[in-house]
Amino acid sequence: MSAPGKDHREGRVPIRQLPTGVPGLDEILGGGLPEYSFNIIAGAPGSGKTTLAHQLMFANATPERPALYFTVLGEPAIKMLRYQQQFTFFDQSKLDGAIRSINLSQLVLEKDLGAVLDAIIKEVEASNAKIVVVDSFRTVVRKALSSASEMELQGFVQRLALHLTSWQATTFLIGEYVESELRDNPVFTVADGLFWLFQSVERNSIVRKLQVMKLRGQESVPGLHTFRITEQGLQTFPRTFGLTAHKSEHVKGRRRLSAGVPELDSLMGGGIPEGDSLLIAGPSGAGKTVLGIQFIAEGLGRGEPGIVAMFEELPDEYMQRAASFGFDLRKHTEDGSLKLIYLRPLDLSVDETVHEIVNAVKEINCKRLVIDSLVGFEMALAPDFRADFRESLYRMIGALTRLGVTIISTVEVEENFISMGLSNFTISFLADDIVRLRYASINGQLRKILMVVKMRRSQHSIDMCAYDVTSKGLVVGEPMRGYRALTSGIPGPWSLESGQNEPELSRPLESHAEKARKRRGRSAK
Amino acid sequence: MTDGPSASMRGLARRLLAVEAASESAAGSHVHEGVRVCEKLKISVARFAGSDSFASLLRRALALARTENATLQTVKVKADGSLNGCEALAVDGPEGAIALIAHLLGLLETFVGEPSTRRLVRQAWPDASLDS
Repeated sequence: MSAPGKDHREGRVPIRQLPTGVPGLDEILGGGLPEYSFNIIAGAPGSGKTTLAHQLMFANATPERPALYFTVLGEPAIKMLRYQQQFTFFDQSKLDGAIRSINLSQLVLEKDLGAVLDAIIKEVEASNAKIVVVDSFRTVVRKALSSASEMELQGFVQRLALHLTSWQATTFLIGEYVESELRDNPVFTVADGLFWLFQSVERNSIVRKLQVMKLRGQESVPGLHTFRITEQGLQTFPRTFGLTAHKSEHVKGRRRLSAGVPELDSLMGGGIPEGDSLLIAGPSGAGKTVLGIQFIAEGLGRGEPGIVAMFEELPDEYMQRAASFGFDLRKHTEDGSLKLIYLRPLDLSVDETVHEIVNAVKEINCKRLVIDSLVGFEMALAPDFRADFRESLYRMIGALTRLGVTIISTVEVEENFISMGLSNFTISFLADDIVRLRYASINGQLRKILMVVKMRRSQHSIDMCAYDVTSKGLVVGEPMRGYRALTSGIPGPWSLESGQNEPELSRPLESHAEKARKRRGRSAK
Repeated sequence: MTDGPSASMRGLARRLLAVEAASESAAGSHVHEGVRVCEKLKISVARFAGSDSFASLLRRALALARTENATLQTVKVKADGSLNGCEALAVDGPEGAIALIAHLLGLLETFVGEPSTRRLVRQAWPDASLDS
């Protein structure tokens, strides 16, 4: 909602907001439900309309200001009560006066719209209702159109809205509508709020999304928001990731974080700028996961809590792998400074994943995050979400780095010996910094080389260095000199003249510690 | 669930019939207490679930009750959910009426749970003390 100016806003009528009782939905609505609004909950059968209405009722109804649930030829009330009480939000005690269910089926079948209106008004006035739900209002409309004109229907809806608002009720009409009915429908015209629930099936997965198509009086978050129906009822995952109210005080790159590999820090100009997103791209077996482990372990050693979101390995396997390089991650999971998040449910959405990660970030005040890997992440998504993977990643990384978290994402690239791609996803634009690992065929050996491709806002080394994955993790060696076409993976000597020495890649690489020890020895002599 | 009504619902059925029998003698009514219990439950259940729902439940309850009390064979449920042929309820003591009401309450308990069933009963007898 645009605000013309502070002075202009003074004196305007305040619109109080009711909590929805649905996690995430208040944020999507811009704070909550506008009190006294007249709303429609629309969607296909099975999309969660009735459950949403029940959550709204249980969150707001009191014995003094009850909720009235009018049922009309939809789901039989007995079955509704049977099923809805399976949800954890269903509070039996509220049925003692705070929530009342009234059946209008007979009336709708036998009488006209006027009688239906009278019955609703009578109940609302007698009970001082705060929340009114009519389920299904579509049935009322269908019956009305069979005997009355569209104008009469519009008049009915108008009077219903007017009366319920005058009696200070917040109203929800539930209906099975399709989007094509949006135009010229008097019900939609009168409504203050229109909440549409979508359910789509693609291949073997179901994806549920919610859209606030209309909401008078306040600014809602546009777009389609993923939601899930669980034992707790509906849970929405706002596209804003729960960070609307979060004021970022973080300044990117204020300090540098060690990646846990000193030589790599040097190549990056002193480490990873804090709050950056670093992409490690490389083929299978190149050491991407190991680098992620070193980054996390380095942070934990410095008292910086970390999270690893993994999609390919189980947490136990991940910790075992870390232990094989000498990093004891288990003790950090036990003291709460490290969270290993394993996400591979069916039909996963990016928003759900980020919701999970953001919650964990807030919980442990996380400073370092590893996403291992983006390929696994994409594979865990429902097919419907894969189309939006890049866009979702963009929002996710933006949201997390705004929290001051420094992210390392790994991505597997299919190696070839003609060119050097950064990733198969064309997602490198998401990264502030990129480190590329690749194989090269040298002296009859498959060697590994590492290069820093991009450091946003800062200088970095342009050297390509050999590295090995040792029992202590990645060890980066000296820059490779004397080769041409290194990036092709099939380098040759820089000079083709005879007698040109092959560079020193046949001998094992020295670790930073070993080199330092030798330097100290030389100095002592 | 095809098990019979729980002991608690049988107890509640007996209590409701006793409450109505007491009010019958006070008011000099000649309508059988079993019929009056059904009528009061009908108002309470139909308000939230519709009279069709009540009639369906009562029909099912009658079918179940007949298996344990043959005197109910002549009792019928009309389309509006009221009972016909209720003279049979007076034959052989109160057992037929108890079976019918207990099965009706048992069905409600099966579908919506005991708390909601007792709530519906309390709505129908707001002033009665129904604790067993």
